[in-house]
Amino acid sequence: MRGLWAPLLVVLRKELVDGIRDRRSVMSALIPPLMWPLMISLMLNFAAEKRRQADEIKIPVVGAEHAATFVDWLGQQRGVEVVEGPDDPYTAVREGDVNFVIVIPEDYNELFAQAKPVELELVTDGSDNDAAPFVSRARRLIEGYGRQIAMLRLVARGVSPAVASPLRIKDIEVSSVQQRAAMVMAFLPMFLVLAAFMGGMQIAIDTTAGERERGSLEPLLVNPAPRLAIVAGKWLASVVFACVSVVLTFFLLLRALERVPLEALGLRFELGAPEIGAALAAVIPLALLASGLQILVASFARSYKEAQTYVSFLMFVPMAPAFAVMFSGIDPQPWMAPIPLLGQHVLLTEALKGEPASLGAYLAAGVTVTVAGWLCVLMTTRLFRREKIIFGR
Amino acid sequence: MIDVSGLRKSFGDVPAVVDVSFRAENGAVTGLLGPNGAGKTTTLRMIYGLIQADAGELRIDDIDVLRDPLAAQARIGVLPDTHGVYPRLTAREHARYFGRLHGLRSADLEKRIDELFETLDMAGIADRRVSGFSHGERTKVSLARALVHGPQNVLLDEPTNGLDVMSTRAMRGLIRRLRDEGKCVLFSSHIMQEVSALCDTIVILSAGRVAARGTLDELRSQTGHENLEDAFVALTGIDEVRA
Repeated sequence: MRGLWAPLLVVLRKELVDGIRDRRSVMSALIPPLMWPLMISLMLNFAAEKRRQADEIKIPVVGAEHAATFVDWLGQQRGVEVVEGPDDPYTAVREGDVNFVIVIPEDYNELFAQAKPVELELVTDGSDNDAAPFVSRARRLIEGYGRQIAMLRLVARGVSPAVASPLRIKDIEVSSVQQRAAMVMAFLPMFLVLAAFMGGMQIAIDTTAGERERGSLEPLLVNPAPRLAIVAGKWLASVVFACVSVVLTFFLLLRALERVPLEALGLRFELGAPEIGAALAAVIPLALLASGLQILVASFARSYKEAQTYVSFLMFVPMAPAFAVMFSGIDPQPWMAPIPLLGQHVLLTEALKGEPASLGAYLAAGVTVTVAGWLCVLMTTRLFRREKIIFGR
Repeated sequence: MIDVSGLRKSFGDVPAVVDVSFRAENGAVTGLLGPNGAGKTTTLRMIYGLIQADAGELRIDDIDVLRDPLAAQARIGVLPDTHGVYPRLTAREHARYFGRLHGLRSADLEKRIDELFETLDMAGIADRRVSGFSHGERTKVSLARALVHGPQNVLLDEPTNGLDVMSTRAMRGLIRRLRDEGKCVLFSSHIMQEVSALCDTIVILSAGRVAARGTLDELRSQTGHENLEDAFVALTGIDEVRA
């Protein structure tokens, strides 16, 4: 007997080579690291954009001395600061030095006094998407002032201002931008947990149900290798894929978050090496359980497609504790650490907050998922002894 | 050498093998001949340790298969009934995988694979991925991985199934060569010409029992039929036989 390790490593090596050549297996390991950072940065950037519109705005004005009342009024609006405009407003806007400039003509007071339209120049660069929310805010402010003056003039002439405004729009913003951004961040632990489940999914199926479907299981089992070694080799191949997927997902998520203006959203997200290590230590052992469950479930299936159906139901398993914590208002507690899945969610949440739990909690969480994963391997090994599984196609 | 006695196996209430005993010698080709459902595949599967026998004794080179299946499996090479391949691996990688599972080390293994591919006339396809292979080429891959460790005992379950004329001839050549090397070759078939052309000993199975056992000549004289097919029909007591 050459023990378990030698044949286990032979199987692991073969399954890894086979898996790397399998488009489906590689895709399932690469989708989480490619999709989720993209998704999360899109969502956060969108929120930041919305937030910025409501935020403080600097208004460069050229010729402020010609219209003191108007400029005073502007300066009194919430979040508005009037600054002196550049000498050459056209070039400054074109070069992107400022988002826009309001130019007030010299004859402002003269025309205003005669109740004739005054032409204010709003210098903008339409191709500059970043400036758009600022420009539209400035435009609304100018229009708002104009409407106010118009009403005063109507009142002065004995006409009800209501006559001149047949429609009125009232904006009511119900969701708080900040709240939404915080929700997005709360998804981070779940994204990592999902990567652990998705990364090794296809290879877990291919090495079990795929092996049965191809009819290569019977010749494989004729080899003088313990079934446990064969199953464990397949399990570890899936674990390797899942781990690669988790690590890639995590690092690409961090890179994506660096590029999102989190401060603008009132969020703080800074992870040092210890927190990154803690987060990985929380989620990596989960791959042992995820892959274990997947090879166990997939071994019941006669074909690749059947296994895919079963295993995709498994994807709901890791989401359950995440949603439970998010929506039930349970406060994550360290004693939850040894509960598989819930524990990983709790530890990840704490680590990403920058407050990793104790070493004991990590050990407890790691041990329970490892044991649970190993139990799945033992049960799969039992299945691989069944004549119905070996020959039943 | 393979020694089988009093082998029995039922699947639920359905008896597949009722009572099978025979011995397959070294340096000889032993053929299991029988109609579909006679228990040929089940018997072979019990010998190579994937089906647990309900009763009986199984010895491969004096190793008790039931007691030490892994040691017994180390001494056999098997072409099973279903011999699927891994489409993304090359022919050489198939042989290497199984060789390593038998505990062979790299240098010896690679030499062994080269020799084997030469014998099986596979040198040209050795490093191509199996996905584009024909049925005959896939069977060769399965044979190569079954024989990579140079087993003393070779079990082939209907090895010529689905092969064209050239591949069938090559398979027969290989079986004779293995016999001449002193191996114990046990194969199952329902094709009369094949069995009569190749086998030193013929074991005729019918409904899970050994209906007759002996050389071709012995079977002929036992039944009084000159033709194996007629002898077969007489021995198995069935009227329609697929030839």
